[in-house]
Amino acid sequence: MKDSLVLLGRVPAHPDSRCWFLAWNPAGTLLASCGGDRRIRIWGTEGDSWICKSVLSEGHQRTVRKVAWSPCGNYLASASFDATTCIWKKNQDDFECVTTLEGHENEVKSVAWAPSGNLLATCSRDKSVWVWEGASRSLQVDWEPPDTPLRVRDRVGSWVPFFFSPTVDEEDEYECVSVLNSHTQDVKHVVWHPSQELLASASYDDTVKLYREEEDDWVCCATLEGHESTVWSLAFDPSGQRLASCSDDRTVRIWRQYLPDNEQGVACSGSDPSWKCICTLSGFHSRTIYDIAWCQLTGALATACGDDAIRVFQEDPNSDPQQPTFSLTAHLHQAHSQDVNCVAWNPKEPGLLASCSDDGEVAFWKYQRPEGL
Amino acid sequence: MASPFSGALQLTDLDDFIGPSQECIKPVKVEKRPGSGVAKIRIEDDGSYFQVNQDGGTRRLEKAKVSLNDCLACSGCITSAETVLITQQSHEELKKVLDANKMAAPSQQRLVVVSVSPQSRASLAARFQLNPTDTARKLTSFFKKIGVHFVFDTAFSRHFSLLESQREFVRRFRGQADCRQALPLLASACPGWICYAEKTHGSFILPYISTARSPQQVMGSLVKDFFAQQQRLTPDKIYHVTVMPCYDKKLEASRPDFFNQEHQTRDVDCVLTTGEVFRLLEEEDVSLPDLEPAPLDSLCSGASAEEPTSHRGGGSGGYLEHVFRHAARELFGIHVAEVTYKPLRNKDFQEVTLEKEGQVLLHFAMAYGFRNIQNLVQRLKRGHCPYHYVEVMACPSGCLNGGGQLQAPDRPSRELLQHVERLYGMVRAEMPEDAPGVQELYTHWLQGTDSECAGRLLHTQYHAVEKANTGLGIRW
Repeated sequence: MKDSLVLLGRVPAHPDSRCWFLAWNPAGTLLASCGGDRRIRIWGTEGDSWICKSVLSEGHQRTVRKVAWSPCGNYLASASFDATTCIWKKNQDDFECVTTLEGHENEVKSVAWAPSGNLLATCSRDKSVWVWEGASRSLQVDWEPPDTPLRVRDRVGSWVPFFFSPTVDEEDEYECVSVLNSHTQDVKHVVWHPSQELLASASYDDTVKLYREEEDDWVCCATLEGHESTVWSLAFDPSGQRLASCSDDRTVRIWRQYLPDNEQGVACSGSDPSWKCICTLSGFHSRTIYDIAWCQLTGALATACGDDAIRVFQEDPNSDPQQPTFSLTAHLHQAHSQDVNCVAWNPKEPGLLASCSDDGEVAFWKYQRPEGL
Repeated sequence: MASPFSGALQLTDLDDFIGPSQECIKPVKVEKRPGSGVAKIRIEDDGSYFQVNQDGGTRRLEKAKVSLNDCLACSGCITSAETVLITQQSHEELKKVLDANKMAAPSQQRLVVVSVSPQSRASLAARFQLNPTDTARKLTSFFKKIGVHFVFDTAFSRHFSLLESQREFVRRFRGQADCRQALPLLASACPGWICYAEKTHGSFILPYISTARSPQQVMGSLVKDFFAQQQRLTPDKIYHVTVMPCYDKKLEASRPDFFNQEHQTRDVDCVLTTGEVFRLLEEEDVSLPDLEPAPLDSLCSGASAEEPTSHRGGGSGGYLEHVFRHAARELFGIHVAEVTYKPLRNKDFQEVTLEKEGQVLLHFAMAYGFRNIQNLVQRLKRGHCPYHYVEVMACPSGCLNGGGQLQAPDRPSRELLQHVERLYGMVRAEMPEDAPGVQELYTHWLQGTDSECAGRLLHTQYHAVEKANTGLGIRW
């Protein structure tokens, strides 16, 4: 087990500060990190080492808590304690803040892009979860005689005055589609289902909630209870049928989705699926578990813990889908010198894991499933 | 417990509107015993406190208690603003006033006036399976039975609110060249929206908001100024209750701008939600349908009191429709028969245009619900707002769906709302310009349509609210 997680390198990503979160771009070539120094850094490989390719420093006035890449890889969203979310557009090695999402009352804790690429979700200490939709200004131009203003149809079909400029820029605008007030406390994390437009959120109120669209609004369609303390993070498995949650109660829970009329006889209300806790991993972590990541390539489950360690779990080969068992396949003590805040699997290279910590560092690891486990 | 206030108000911090005071002013009654000497206090193993006298005798000490009622005397450090509002303005309070009236000498009695909103009436009508006219008459009967003296309809005060809004729009539209913040004009009848705007967007957004008072507060002026004069009473001798579809109206009634300093009285003393009136009926053990209908009261003798009246343009007052049709006529000489709404992103965000020969003359919208208010304000901030007027309401589906309306657990809420909308729409609509009594009041009570009086009694101001920085404000 000792050799199953090997250190490849470390970088002092956010010196004299904490590194809060990491996100690999969809191509797996870049890693974005963000921290208490209000900056976002973009890391790429040069030979065997990782170097900082860009620093995004003018975006936020306070800690940047999370970053997320759009499914196309051209945009990066950053959620900050300054109550805003910035959307950055990538232009080779440069990033430009194209728009700022405002509206949350206080610290934004998380941001996530939907697989379709057009929807974003944010959540905050104000207990709400917001769903945003991107809208680019359409280029259908209507030319009228000179003494009346030029009009342009915007995305929702309204005519708006348009002041003609030589370079017609496409403007990225995001509008709020829904404000969800289901949680009763600070919402820590939001994550989208890998293929459906289903949103999950984790909160200080000890629950996980799921949301979906219904007519012209979003509604909470399920509440997952079971954790005994703050739920810090969530991760869907590659198929989207299972959801892993990690908590201050030092357990990881695996939840499974049961559709109406399922074979196992799990009751559903109406047409909404039910979610049941099918596995609890307890006794492995000695402190709060701050993050969990489910590798979309190998199915390995990594956790970031307040005891400075990184652990990896894998489902046992003959595990019953309704009552799966997971084994601890890696346990690296002192992965960092302080709390590990985030773990992130590279989406293209199996076994490549990045982690970051309150010590301000980012570490890269190679994971290999041990023989016989 | 889930907050009953609108979504917009829930996301702001009510405590910033009603600041809790830092010092508890409850005087603690101490029984002073004769004799000097210092008593000692001993703490027992079970945590109870005993006073040990000099002679060795002991007395168990009682815990000091500060009850909710004590806290209502000041704005309360223990209670939150929400609890203060809801408890100070409740049907219990109304009952207390009515009971006090029964005991008091004639010179000490207060004239009790209740003003019912058309939306609350529609909600009650749906619940009791009555038509709006019968509901109005039976409600009048009920209130008078428990000691209320007059029962009015806020549709009457709404005439003034709509007229002032119409005039204000035309004025601002014409004055666009001189003032960059003339348009869009944003409706001001919804306190959930107003308080959110004052708190979150402050001095940026306030110049765009209409200064016309809401129907509730125009009624406040009518009852405590016009009606008081008619009855030869000072305003503090009248206890004015309104029945409203939401809790946010309680916050509106308690605004300092609606407090009469001279007579130390509020324009509206107590706001009851539809639900609270329903509870009152239950507590008084009265079945509304079984009551004998009473004749309807009216604020001016000229008005017909046979049946209630209303306004066209939806269940939130009809601001968009009235301002639109008036502006079309006044500014462009166009008569609009039917207003056509075009839904946009969702059913709570719709727009209306006036076009002539392919040109857009007027572009109005209605934006209900917090998410649409968000988008409107963000667009405004970026300079992308194409509208001249927006009817803004904090509740999705508008006032008929307010947080204080009656629920029916055995009916799907959408079906109930449609029923309430139908009942609301059954009431005959009147044009404010033609409504009996309105012009007379402008002439005799207000001394003209653009007079100083009209400005003072039919308009109001807004104030950007600073976030309270006291330690008590921190919510962990």
